[in-house]
Amino acid sequence: MRRPTVRQVVGGLLVACVIGFLALPILVTVVFSFNASPRLSFPIEGLTLDWYDRGLRDPMFRDALRNSVVAAVVTALVAALIGVPASFALRGLAPRIRPLVAGGLLLPAIVPALLLGIALTVFLEEVGLGLSLETAIIGHVLIALPFVVLSMVARLDSFDFSIVEAARSLGAGPARGFADVVLPLIRPSIVGAMLLSMALSLDEFVVTFFTRGGDDTLPVLIWGLLRRGIDPTINALATLILAGTVTLALIANRLTKVRL
Amino acid sequence: MYGPFAMNLTGSQRSVKRLALLQVAPAAVFWTAFFLIPLAILVRYSFFEAGFLTITPAFDLANYQEAVTNGLYREIIVRTIVIGLATATLVVVLAYAFSYVVTFVFPRRRELLFFLVMVALFSGYLVRIYAWRTILGEQGIVNSLLLSTGLVDEPLRFLIYSRVAVVITMTNILLPFAILPLYSAMQNVPREVIEAARSLGGSGLAVFRTVTFPMTMTGAKAAFAFAFVLTCGDYVTPTLVGGTNGIMIGNVIADQFGVSYNWPLGAALAITTMVAVLVVFAVVSRLMTVVAR
Repeated sequence: MRRPTVRQVVGGLLVACVIGFLALPILVTVVFSFNASPRLSFPIEGLTLDWYDRGLRDPMFRDALRNSVVAAVVTALVAALIGVPASFALRGLAPRIRPLVAGGLLLPAIVPALLLGIALTVFLEEVGLGLSLETAIIGHVLIALPFVVLSMVARLDSFDFSIVEAARSLGAGPARGFADVVLPLIRPSIVGAMLLSMALSLDEFVVTFFTRGGDDTLPVLIWGLLRRGIDPTINALATLILAGTVTLALIANRLTKVRL
Repeated sequence: MYGPFAMNLTGSQRSVKRLALLQVAPAAVFWTAFFLIPLAILVRYSFFEAGFLTITPAFDLANYQEAVTNGLYREIIVRTIVIGLATATLVVVLAYAFSYVVTFVFPRRRELLFFLVMVALFSGYLVRIYAWRTILGEQGIVNSLLLSTGLVDEPLRFLIYSRVAVVITMTNILLPFAILPLYSAMQNVPREVIEAARSLGGSGLAVFRTVTFPMTMTGAKAAFAFAFVLTCGDYVTPTLVGGTNGIMIGNVIADQFGVSYNWPLGAALAITTMVAVLVVFAVVSRLMTVVAR
């Protein structure tokens, strides 16, 4: 075993600090969700599942969970349905307009959610659409779309389209060439992009808050509890959402590579 | 390239283009209807006249005048930009150092380390902000640690409900976002170029200054833009950990769309802030280019 160099020691310390800084709030949330005392300070006085029990029993939680799941699934379907073809299109568009279209589609990802939220609010008022879960889902799709396009474009960039030509020259029509050759190969990326969309939807708060009407999603429910004060039930619900979004994102990460 | 082949080529190119237009159409329609048009309507609203609980269509610059000349709003916009710059700088420095070390010092562990960053990226926005209240609070983890070790006699009160709390929390939220483009920029620096620079006698520092740093500048700018814009537009973090001193323009804008019900002023404040943010970023971006040269 070689002795570590100065470079490795300094680098290792830095990496440990950054990872620790990123992990700290997550660990705190999970640890206090099991804390027997309702006070959110150390030392931990014992372990309990009461907060989970209380949170899960709450009928408001059930409604919010149902709304969140509906929003996540619909968001994933719509974002994939319009985002995947758009990613294919970027290859066929004229080189002059391609960066314009790509940039436009990615723009909602770097616009603050507050701006999206208030723009959608005035828009929905103007066209006379009442606020509801459906209008909140519009915002979720808008936020998920750039990530679907990013991950699909990354996949298609490394896709060997000569195999499609091979299939065509062997007599397969365009539809068959797509369904039998392209689709099976890119399916993991599509599933990955959809899981990523679900994770983004489950976690979305700001746009949802402005456009949801009376329909609470899990983050909106948590926001309501946060404003009321300290309550470990929040930690329990948060830990559950955390488990959901992290699982989705990790599977998505296995299936696709998001590159910026 | 001649005769029927040329015809065939242009014919198929045209059909490729037609297919592409067809494929992009649904996304383009959605984007126009729910992104471009809403933003356009927001701009139009910023010229409307607001009365007590009424909004009248007009073409009036009064909202912008109010946004720019009202001392309170101006102070909060400036404060927002200062907090944004502080956060973005901290985020980019940390993300840059992290991505550099992961890529060049621990290349064999990079999959695992990047994976941990992805976990953080998806670990919940609201929840993490809330957790920082537990960490930085008067009886929080940091303070109880400091008190029990005797480093301080009484809890550090500036840690929570302050601008410091906003910067720490926003840095935590945005760091994974900034690591994505920087990590990918580092991975794209060709190893051969670094080897070549080394073999020509460049020291570690010289290689960094002339090769790695300029080649990763675009990634750094993207990360800075991300962090700066998103911090300036946030209102949840200042609401939960900022206290009265940490109020940012996002709070004021959100209030106009909530309790105050003055959408035109809210729209004008949002647009004024975005313009200010873009101007400041243009300056920063120019500075970064000069430094990299």
